[in-house]
Amino acid sequence: MMKLKRLIFMSAVILIITAFYAYSREEIPTIDNIVFDHPQRSAAVFDHDDHNEKAMLEDDCSICHHVYENKKLIKDESSEDYLCSECHFLKPTPENAIPLRMAFHKQCKECHFESNKGPVLCGECHIKK
Amino acid sequence: MHSFINFIMGPMVWISFLIFFIGVIFRFFQVIKLVNERENFIYTYMSFKYSFRSIFAWLIPFLPVSTRKSPVFYGISYVFHLLLFLIPIFLLSHVALLEESMQWSWFTMNDAVADILTLIVIFSLLFFIIRRIVVPEVNFLTKLSDFGFILIVALPFVTGFLAYHQFFAYQWMVIVHVLSGELMIILIPFTRFFHMFMAPFTRAYTGSEFGSVRHAKDW
Ligand code: HEC
Ligand code: HEC
Ligand code: HEC
Ligand code: HEC
Repeated sequence: MMKLKRLIFMSAVILIITAFYAYSREEIPTIDNIVFDHPQRSAAVFDHDDHNEKAMLEDDCSICHHVYENKKLIKDESSEDYLCSECHFLKPTPENAIPLRMAFHKQCKECHFESNKGPVLCGECHIKK
Repeated sequence: MHSFINFIMGPMVWISFLIFFIGVIFRFFQVIKLVNERENFIYTYMSFKYSFRSIFAWLIPFLPVSTRKSPVFYGISYVFHLLLFLIPIFLLSHVALLEESMQWSWFTMNDAVADILTLIVIFSLLFFIIRRIVVPEVNFLTKLSDFGFILIVALPFVTGFLAYHQFFAYQWMVIVHVLSGELMIILIPFTRFFHMFMAPFTRAYTGSEFGSVRHAKDW
């Protein structure tokens, strides 16, 4: 009987601790996926400033927020006032051959592969809640 | 870890398909050679008419008499074989990766639909395992390797399902998923999986023999 009581008590404690941990864990910021109609995956985790600080990308915003003219990358110009979806559309178009999903995936994953750091598998960015 | 993942999701995919294609060609030559050496009399009665008549008859669910005698097994088998191809070809994550590396892209099914279809495949495989254990006439003909082949097919579906839901050991689940898928592609030409190519020919052969020699239907 003592054993059973102790078991129930311990289980309750563990349950409360995990529940508390789950709720108190701060939400990781994500990239808005509203432009995709009927998004199929959870929004990708990306803590903008924290990410760029850790990855040491703060000096050059144009690595991600780039500017193109006639399909040529314009160096030293940046487009951080635009969303990616203002230039990359859901389907490839004559002005922009890189559709939006691919634009995100290529930009994020190529750099992660090159730097041997950062997520590269679906579920490492699209984390299930 | 990144370069390993890059390798198995990149070059290894193409290496697997290369082995697959070379293997298929090699096996076809081998089979043709064997027929020429041992049974070249079959050419005397091979007939296009009876071949295609038989192939089409067997493509129609529940037309052949033997399939009607065990409708549950053939029904599950039919759905299973269809899904075995439909799911991987039209899966969003597969097409998305192919689009990123090759700019190839086609229709994809909804992830939630794929999830349910995958469960159907897994349960079909469970059914095949149980059938081999409990049905005496099937059990009698079953070798240990038969279970091995079922497990090889099951592995990519089970790990894909578990990875999609991110239940546990996510990274390893994906790695085993990718490797087991590649293993299956490589094994197709060299194992029983080769029946996916031989089936129409064995059907044509039986159809021709029944049609031209025995003057009977083979379904
Ligand atoms: C490096 C992070 C990263 C990885 C790895 C990644 N994605 Fe994404 N994905 C994104 C971002 C960023 C977006 C766009 C914004 C968003 O969805 O939050 C996106 C968008 C998408 C979309 C369009 C929006 C939606 O939910 O329908 C799909 C589908 C998708 N990803 C599927 C996948 C699949 C499948 C994989 C694995 C093969 C994958 N992603 C791997 C970051 C990633
Ligand atoms: C690793 C790539 C990356 C780097 C480097 C980066 N950003 Fe971003 N930034 C993003 C992404 C992705 C978004 C989300 C875009 C979207 O939702 O379409 C974003 C969004 C923004 C937005 C909001 C845009 C809007 O219109 O809502 C601002 C502002 C911004 N970034 C500024 C900067 C500045 C300033 C720098 C340089 C110090 C910088 N970013 C560096 C990837 C990056
Ligand atoms: C001002 C318009 C504009 C914005 C904003 C923009 N892009 Fe682009 N991007 C382009 C154009 C134009 C191209 C070239 C497309 C082509 O070759 O057809 C391009 C090419 C790309 C490419 C392929 C070349 C490469 O660098 O690998 C990627 C990936 C990409 N963009 C990702 C993004 C992401 C992610 C964002 C948001 C953080 C973004 N882009 C924001 C216009 C833009
Ligand atoms: C130019 C290179 C580069 C680009 C582009 C890039 N990343 Fe990263 N990312 C890194 C590096 C480097 C790290 C590892 C940082 C560290 O040391 O922890 C990282 C880490 C991450 C992490 C893990 C963060 C953490 O706190 O551990 C996430 C999530 C992530 N990246 C998401 C993204 C997404 C989403 C995109 C595309 C919008 C993206 N990254 C684009 C370089 C990049």
